[in-house]
Amino acid sequence: MPETTEQMIEYIVEEIVRRPGVKVDEDTPLVSSGLIDSLALVDILLKLEDVTGTHIPAGKVQPKDMDTVRLMFSTAARVGKPRKK
Amino acid sequence: MGISDLKGLSSNRDRRHSFDLSSHSPFDLPYKTLREALWAAPRDKPFATMWQGEDDVQSVNFGEFTALAETQAAYLQQQGLSAGDTIVLIMPQGIPLMASFAAAMYLGAIPAILAYPNFKVEPAKYRAGLTAVTANLKARLVMLDEEFPQELLGHVTLGEFSKLVRYEKGASRERAQPAPTTDPAEVAFIQHSAGTTGLQKGVALSHSAVLQHLARLAPALMLRSDDRIYSWLPLYHDMGLIACFILPMVCHVPVIMQSPTDWVLQPATMLQIISEYRCTLGWIPNFAFNFLARRAHPETGAAYDLSSVRALINCAEPVRASSLDEFRSAFSRYGLRASALQSSYAMAETVFAVTQSALDVANGPVRVWVDSEIFRRECTAVPAESSNPRAACYVSSGKCLPGTSVRVVSETGQDLPDGGLGEILIQSDSMLSGYYNRPDLTAQALRDGWYCSGDLGFVLDGEVFVVGRQKDLIIVAGENIHPHDVEEIVSSHPLIHEGRVVAFGLHNPELGTQEIVIVAEVLEEENLTNSLAIEQDLRNAVTGELGVSARLIYLKPPRWIVKSTAGKPARSTTREKLLAEHSELEFDSLKKKGVHA
Repeated sequence: MPETTEQMIEYIVEEIVRRPGVKVDEDTPLVSSGLIDSLALVDILLKLEDVTGTHIPAGKVQPKDMDTVRLMFSTAARVGKPRKK
Repeated sequence: MGISDLKGLSSNRDRRHSFDLSSHSPFDLPYKTLREALWAAPRDKPFATMWQGEDDVQSVNFGEFTALAETQAAYLQQQGLSAGDTIVLIMPQGIPLMASFAAAMYLGAIPAILAYPNFKVEPAKYRAGLTAVTANLKARLVMLDEEFPQELLGHVTLGEFSKLVRYEKGASRERAQPAPTTDPAEVAFIQHSAGTTGLQKGVALSHSAVLQHLARLAPALMLRSDDRIYSWLPLYHDMGLIACFILPMVCHVPVIMQSPTDWVLQPATMLQIISEYRCTLGWIPNFAFNFLARRAHPETGAAYDLSSVRALINCAEPVRASSLDEFRSAFSRYGLRASALQSSYAMAETVFAVTQSALDVANGPVRVWVDSEIFRRECTAVPAESSNPRAACYVSSGKCLPGTSVRVVSETGQDLPDGGLGEILIQSDSMLSGYYNRPDLTAQALRDGWYCSGDLGFVLDGEVFVVGRQKDLIIVAGENIHPHDVEEIVSSHPLIHEGRVVAFGLHNPELGTQEIVIVAEVLEEENLTNSLAIEQDLRNAVTGELGVSARLIYLKPPRWIVKSTAGKPARSTTREKLLAEHSELEFDSLKKKGVHA
């Protein structure tokens, strides 16, 4: 598993889900399973921008594109623009 | 006694008459129907703008909008829609949805907008709901957008009477035959009241009721023809439909919209849009004030300008002083005026607003400090000094609009004196006459001409303070969730003891709204070894049926839940027991580290 994926999973488990014992992997549905609320997606999106070094423009992402960690990375690859350093 | 009628309003009302109505007074509404109001708009004035990103903005003026509506009307007429028929619209936020709504009114038909399904919805549940609503509305047409997912639709059965059609852009070159003059007393549209069981609760509103209401509301908002409304509110909810579509349509002011999901993912775009379009008015629920303050991460060096905002109105959830203060301190550096944060108490059943705070008072809605101990013990709001450690702050939602009165009654239906905490009953001259085709629900909600809101609150000097929903209702980000709906879903799990489930709402100050907490007993103690899997099953089920997340689930061994003498789970006692056992539910101790610096 790439390091960036691990970083995302760790962030989601420790900062968003915050329920002991809950396991999250690349394919765990997050919003559609009720594990996280869509209001938390903005934090996840920011983290995703950080981890991937991209800027993800408004209006190009739907909550369903963020339902699993794997989907998040493919979304970032699809619509993310390299961030200006 | 206890009727906070319009007494306190008289002085205020005098002031209202002195407002500057210079250019033209949009709330002197000389129209008999909504159709007449829309088609009387100045054709070249901007109306609706849909913002989906800097490079994706659609805009129409009133002339283009009515032309679009006429084209759609021709198409709907070809599909068999005629005067008096109902049509269900299920389309994403945007101009095509609004034009289809206007098209239906052009034909004298009755539109009803339903929520556009999100990906959390279970297809089977969705189809069942759609079938039930269509049958109750006796809908002639159900219109979906071009991209509505087919897998969600499956083989939905709508009955012989109803027909499914897809929105088609520029579908017809024919001209529609407009309906002959409509009687103002006829139903103009049906708006569905919020909540998960709300799907069946359609409120039918006549042209005259809606126009009457807007004629009351517009002066309370000091509406001017150069106002511009900002909105991310969905059009299937009264705040989005009435305040951000029907009001601008009838009073001829522009509205700039974005979709709720775009806003949730990029909350700072709201600041961007308000700055760019110089918006003056907007409505958002309480949680959004916290959410924006903490999560609208401005681009570095972004130069927002919020000085155009006259009123950003806190509506749909109890108004919290801390939420307003947090918003103000986060954004005053962008020119937000001290008077810009306002409040209102509104619901579909009275068309929209029951109260509105006075916009011409410098520091926003009235605040009162009450002795929280007396408040809890005796259910009476007794003013206290703000320095008193027992003092708790409540924010008024404003005074009643003209033509509207409220009463606060005890559990036995007795009127309470000023400050008494009880259920809020409402009467207005633009109130619902009943739920559409649901006399059973109407009988529950209307008592001697008063609408029983189910909201708890008190009145002081004519100011209405809404404290919460009647004891058990959970409000998650403006959505009403009935605990028994949650409990029923959880109970149906094979390893959960049926009926031994309690769901309640817990205010999470970090989110500015409630979260659902579920406590459930498993059948056998050894089932607890499986608890993570069971919890996840339950989350899936609750989210799939109600569309809200259920992060906080607690499985307990048999006989853990406290029962009342009647043998039913006692919600409040069980809640206390759970909170005592799980200190992590004290959200203050849960502050996230470094997420919002």
